[in-house]
Amino acid sequence: MNEAILAEGLVREFKGGIRAVDGVDLQVRPGEVYGFLGPNGAGKSTTVRMLATLLRPTGGSATVAGFDVASEAKSVRRSIGVALQDAAIDPFMTGRELLHLQGVLHGLSRAECRSTADRLLDRVGLTEAAERRVGTYSGGMRRRLDLALALVHEPVVLFLDEPTTGLDPTSRLALWEEVRRLNTEAGTTVFLTTQYLEEADQLAGRVGIIDGGRIVAEGTPQQLKAEVGDPALVITPADPERRDAAQEVLVRFGPEVEARPPGTAAARLPGGAARVAEAVRALDEAGISTASLDLHQPTLDDVFVAKTGRRLEGHGGGESPAAGRGKRGRRR
Amino acid sequence: MTLALRQTWALGRRAVAGTFRFPQAWFPSLFFPLLLMAIFTASFDRGIALIPGFPKVNGYLDFGISGTVLQGVLIGGVSSGAFFAGDIERGFFDRLVTSPVSRVVLLTNRLVAGIVLAAAQATLFVAIGLAFGARMEGGVAGFVTLIALAGLLAVPIGGLGILLALRTGSAEAVQGSFPLFFALMFFSSAFFPRETMTGWFKAVADVNPISHLVEGMRAQVIEGFRPGAAALSLAIIAGFSVLTVGGSAVALRRRLGAM
Repeated sequence: MNEAILAEGLVREFKGGIRAVDGVDLQVRPGEVYGFLGPNGAGKSTTVRMLATLLRPTGGSATVAGFDVASEAKSVRRSIGVALQDAAIDPFMTGRELLHLQGVLHGLSRAECRSTADRLLDRVGLTEAAERRVGTYSGGMRRRLDLALALVHEPVVLFLDEPTTGLDPTSRLALWEEVRRLNTEAGTTVFLTTQYLEEADQLAGRVGIIDGGRIVAEGTPQQLKAEVGDPALVITPADPERRDAAQEVLVRFGPEVEARPPGTAAARLPGGAARVAEAVRALDEAGISTASLDLHQPTLDDVFVAKTGRRLEGHGGGESPAAGRGKRGRRR
Repeated sequence: MTLALRQTWALGRRAVAGTFRFPQAWFPSLFFPLLLMAIFTASFDRGIALIPGFPKVNGYLDFGISGTVLQGVLIGGVSSGAFFAGDIERGFFDRLVTSPVSRVVLLTNRLVAGIVLAAAQATLFVAIGLAFGARMEGGVAGFVTLIALAGLLAVPIGGLGILLALRTGSAEAVQGSFPLFFALMFFSSAFFPRETMTGWFKAVADVNPISHLVEGMRAQVIEGFRPGAAALSLAIIAGFSVLTVGGSAVALRRRLGAM
């Protein structure tokens, strides 16, 4: 097996001629964590559903774990673990029952089912809740069980479709930790779709950005951020009237940043921090006093904006390239 | 093959457990048939002797119990279909499809669960009937035949429920088909003999296969063990099974193909 996932010109056209996925090429190496980023309706889930044999491609081809998703679907299914959006879990069954059932579906013996269930429950921290019906689980517990279910047969490739959407920050961190551990310890290839740039930044070795059914950018988070360019200097003038004047000063140092919070002026600053003092002096000379000043290192958010001209959902409104955040962004 | 059997068994058990753990899944299929049986028995038990053409029976309960069994299987089939549609809605179906489960098992597990539930329910209904004074003229053989027919009837009815589930993917839509089943049942001899019907109602009941089906079941209770009548019921069940299970196989293929 050369590539864990290989897609060439993958297309899915729905009735009415809508091309949800419009010629996607993917190459994911074994052991890689690949982040698949895009807003709702960009074609993320449709792509995953095709790779996970839930949806037949209408064009192009794809192999997963070396097997063709169309002609060797059964072999693909043996090799993959799938945790789809909205944790597909029976509310009336207990966690242990579901794990046991999943084991049988994958052909594990009774004894294997039992030991696997014990091991995975322990691993995702659900041993105590194992005999409770899933209907009583919290959102985070469901996702963890969902992950455990996807791991029953020790898959080579794991598909996680928006694994942390709707989770609180603590649960999100716990799930990230688990995915990381899985990847480093078992060497599982992970294909992760997300709307959260932070998630991709945290987990993925490589990121693909999909928009309108096409991949618009791909690379390591570092590469993509570097592509966006230099850090942005964002200032809020003390006198809102002087914003335009402040912007005029800043563009002398670098290109204007279009996506910025209202009432601020912003420009990319080649040379970064070294030139902040210079810019501040220039503002000073122009008689503009600043209420706040921020040097914003590019994030995947910025990559997304640069590539698609839009922000991701949950990142709109007051969120800015500089609105006081390093690692922590505002989340839904 | 043995794996397919184990998968069917495990999924069938889940379907049975799912029914038992959801009161809204089992309550209607127990409550309404028993309620109707109680009402009809109370209303007609003494009157039937005066109706010309009404078959000679010990009481209405003996006559009506087969209809009650049929009604229970119908409601159970609708619930089972709704449950299947719920699996599609919740995404459990997707999980099954992405696991190496044979496509046949996707259907058979529900049908097997349906048979078990229907047979258990029929046993309960007949036991209640007997406790309230019904007489089983067919004896043990008649009883076993009746229960077996009730269990097998879950195949065409369950097949129809699955077909609707696969076509609509909506539990609500499947539940919505319920009145249709009911109308079909009441335009048959499920609760009253064709002999006492008149006009177009009788014409409909005469051609309604449910009439002949239920009469084959009823014969075991009110006449005695009747293999011939049971064979006719079985033939009707088999015919409908081919239609609805075949239809759901096509619907499954379409859903998986289009998906």
